[in-house]
Amino acid sequence: MNATAHRSGALVWARRNLFRSPLDGALTIVFGAISLWLIYKTLSFVFVTGRWDIIRVNLRLLMIGRFPEAHVLRLVITVIGLAAWGGFLAGFIRARQVRSGRVPNSGTSLAARLGDIGMRLWLPAVVVLLLLLLSSTPGPWITVGLALIAAIIGRLVGPFAGRPKLGPVGSAVVFVGLGAVPVGLYFYVVTAVGFDDWGGFMLNLFLAACAIVLCFPLGILLALGRRSTLPLVRVVCTTYIELVRGAPLFVLLLLANVALGFFVPDSLVPSTSTRAIIVFTLFTAAYMAEIIRGGLQSVPRGQIEAAKAVGLSPVRQTGYIVLPQALRNVIPAQIGQLISLFKDTTLAGIAMGLFELLNVTTAITAQEQFRGQGLIGETITFAALMFWTVSFTMSRESQRLEKRLGVGVR
Amino acid sequence: MTEPEVFADATEMRGTGTAMIELEHVDKLFGDFQALTDINLKVAAQEVVVVIGPSGSGKSTMIRCINRLEEHDAGRIVVDGTVLSNDIRNIQEIRRETGMVFQSFNLFPHLSVLDNVTLAPRKVRKMPKAKADELGMELLEMVRIPEQASKYPGQLSGGQQQRVAIARSLAMKPKVMLFDEPTSALDPEMIGEVLDTMKELARSGMTMIVVTHEMGFAREVADRVVFMADGQIVEVGTPEHFFENPREDRTKLFLSQIL
Repeated sequence: MNATAHRSGALVWARRNLFRSPLDGALTIVFGAISLWLIYKTLSFVFVTGRWDIIRVNLRLLMIGRFPEAHVLRLVITVIGLAAWGGFLAGFIRARQVRSGRVPNSGTSLAARLGDIGMRLWLPAVVVLLLLLLSSTPGPWITVGLALIAAIIGRLVGPFAGRPKLGPVGSAVVFVGLGAVPVGLYFYVVTAVGFDDWGGFMLNLFLAACAIVLCFPLGILLALGRRSTLPLVRVVCTTYIELVRGAPLFVLLLLANVALGFFVPDSLVPSTSTRAIIVFTLFTAAYMAEIIRGGLQSVPRGQIEAAKAVGLSPVRQTGYIVLPQALRNVIPAQIGQLISLFKDTTLAGIAMGLFELLNVTTAITAQEQFRGQGLIGETITFAALMFWTVSFTMSRESQRLEKRLGVGVR
Repeated sequence: MTEPEVFADATEMRGTGTAMIELEHVDKLFGDFQALTDINLKVAAQEVVVVIGPSGSGKSTMIRCINRLEEHDAGRIVVDGTVLSNDIRNIQEIRRETGMVFQSFNLFPHLSVLDNVTLAPRKVRKMPKAKADELGMELLEMVRIPEQASKYPGQLSGGQQQRVAIARSLAMKPKVMLFDEPTSALDPEMIGEVLDTMKELARSGMTMIVVTHEMGFAREVADRVVFMADGQIVEVGTPEHFFENPREDRTKLFLSQIL
C-alpha cells in the first residue's frame, strides 16, 4: 500500500513538474534523452572504451615528472613532513581559538568533528584513493598511510603548543618554527634535485603554492600603496598595477623565458621554474591589489573615524580595523583569483617548456606504445579531474572560511 | 548677526574653573562652504555642555574638530593644555585623552564586544591582556552589559551597541568625552538606557560635550547649553535661562519648533 501511495506521489510530482503542458512534456523528453545519452557516453568512456592504461603506466610521470628515482625518498619524507605540519597547524590554531574564546571547547563530539572533516575533504580523499588504486607499486600506499598517521599525530600534538600562554618569545619561536618547516623541506628536496627537474602535478601545486604565498602580501602592499597619501608611492603602485594588468600572462611568461637573457647576464638568470614563480607572483599580485583595494573601499568611513578616536596610530588603524574587514569582504574574489592562478600554471608548460601536468599529458600520448591512438581524451580528462579537484576544494574551503569569519556580522 | 548674547551667569565656565577644552576663533571650511565661523567656547573640567541647534548648524563639525576628525582652518583648539597642531604625535596625544561616541556607534564588527573595548588600551596604552580584560569587564558592568562580552556587535541591539561604544571610549581613561548625537539612530525604547548611562557618567565628574536633540537630557544634566545655527554659536546659557527665557529670536524660533 505504501508503495502504491509512493508511486502515485511520484506520478503526481512528475505530472506537475515535468508534463504540465504539451511544451513541458516535449522539453522533458528532449532534454531527458540528451541527458541519458550524455550519461551513457560518459559511463561507457570511463568504464568501457577509455584506455586508462595510459594513465596507469605513466602515473608517476604525471604526478612528479622526471624526478630522479634515486631521490624519490626525499619527496616521500616531504609529503609526510607536510602532513604532520598541516595537522600540527590545525591543532595549534584550534587550541588558540579555544583559548581566546572564539570557539567553544566542548559541545562537538569527536564523531561530529570527524564527520565535518569528512564533509570537507571527501573529494580529494576519493581522488587520492583513485590514484592509489591506479598505482602499481606499494610506495604510494605506504607514503599516504604514513602521511595520514603523521597528520593525526601532528593534530594531537598541536594543541599542546597552542594551549599555554605564549609570551612574545614563545610566539616568535612557534611562528618561525611553523614557517621553517615547509621552507626547510623545500631545501631538503631542492639540494638533491634541482628545481628544473621537478615536474608533473607536483610542479603545478608547487608553483601555485609559492605564488599564492608570495602574491598575497605583495598585493596588500600594492593596494595600500595605491591609496597612500604620499604621491610617489601612489604613482609607483598605480603604474605597476596598470602595467602588469595590461599584459597577457602568457606574454609575460614568454618574456621571462626568452627576453630576460637580453637584459641580464646568463649567470644571473634564475632557473626556469623560479622565473615562472616570479612571473605568477608579480602578475597575480597586481590583480590581488585591485581586489583588496575594493575591499578597503568597502570599509565604512565610520570605522576609521572610530579607530582614530580611540587613539590608534595610522598603522594600527589599518592593521587592526581596516584590513581585517577589507580582506574578509573580498574573500570570494580573492579565492577566485588564486584558483585562476593555480590553473594558469599550465601556461608555464606551454610558454616556458616546464614539464608540468598538461605538458606531461600531451607528451605521453606520443610514447611508442600509445602513439597515434587518439588517447588525448583520456589524458586530458585526467588532468582536468586533478585541477578540478584542487580548485573545487579551494572554493569550498573559502566558503567555510567566509562563514567562520562572518560571525555575528550579517 | 549680532555678537552672541551671553547670559551673565553663563559666561564663565562652571565646574572646577580650569579649562579642559578651549576653542578660540575657530573657523572651518568645506570647500567654499563656511561650516564654522569664529567659534569661541571654553569648557571646564567636569563640566557638561550640551550643544543643540538645527541640522547643518555645525554642531557635529565643531566637536569633530576637537579630536581632529575634521581639520579646522583657523583659530586655536586646546585640549587639557595641549594645543592641537598638525603634528601627528600631538593629534594622537589629544585623541588618547578624548573619547568620542558616534551617532552610528561604529563598533568594530570583526571584534567581540570585549575586544572592542580592550583593543585601544592594549595597543595604545600597552596594557597587558589580562589587565585590559579586567578593565573591559569593569566598564561593561558599568554600562550594564557584562553578559554580552563574548558576543559580536552585530548580535546586539542598537542601545546595547551604543553602550558598548561608550565603554570602548572610556577604556582609554579619557579626560573628555564627546558625544555626537548618540541617541539619534536608536529606536525610541532604547534611548532611555543610553541616556541613563550618560547621566551616570556626568555625575561621576566626566567632562562632556554632548550634541543632541534630547532636550530633557539638556535640561536635567547640562551645566550649560550652547545653541548653534549656521556655523555660529548664537547663544550660551544655563538650561533654566535657555529654555525658559531665551534671548535671541533664532533660539526662540528653534525652541518653538521642537518643544
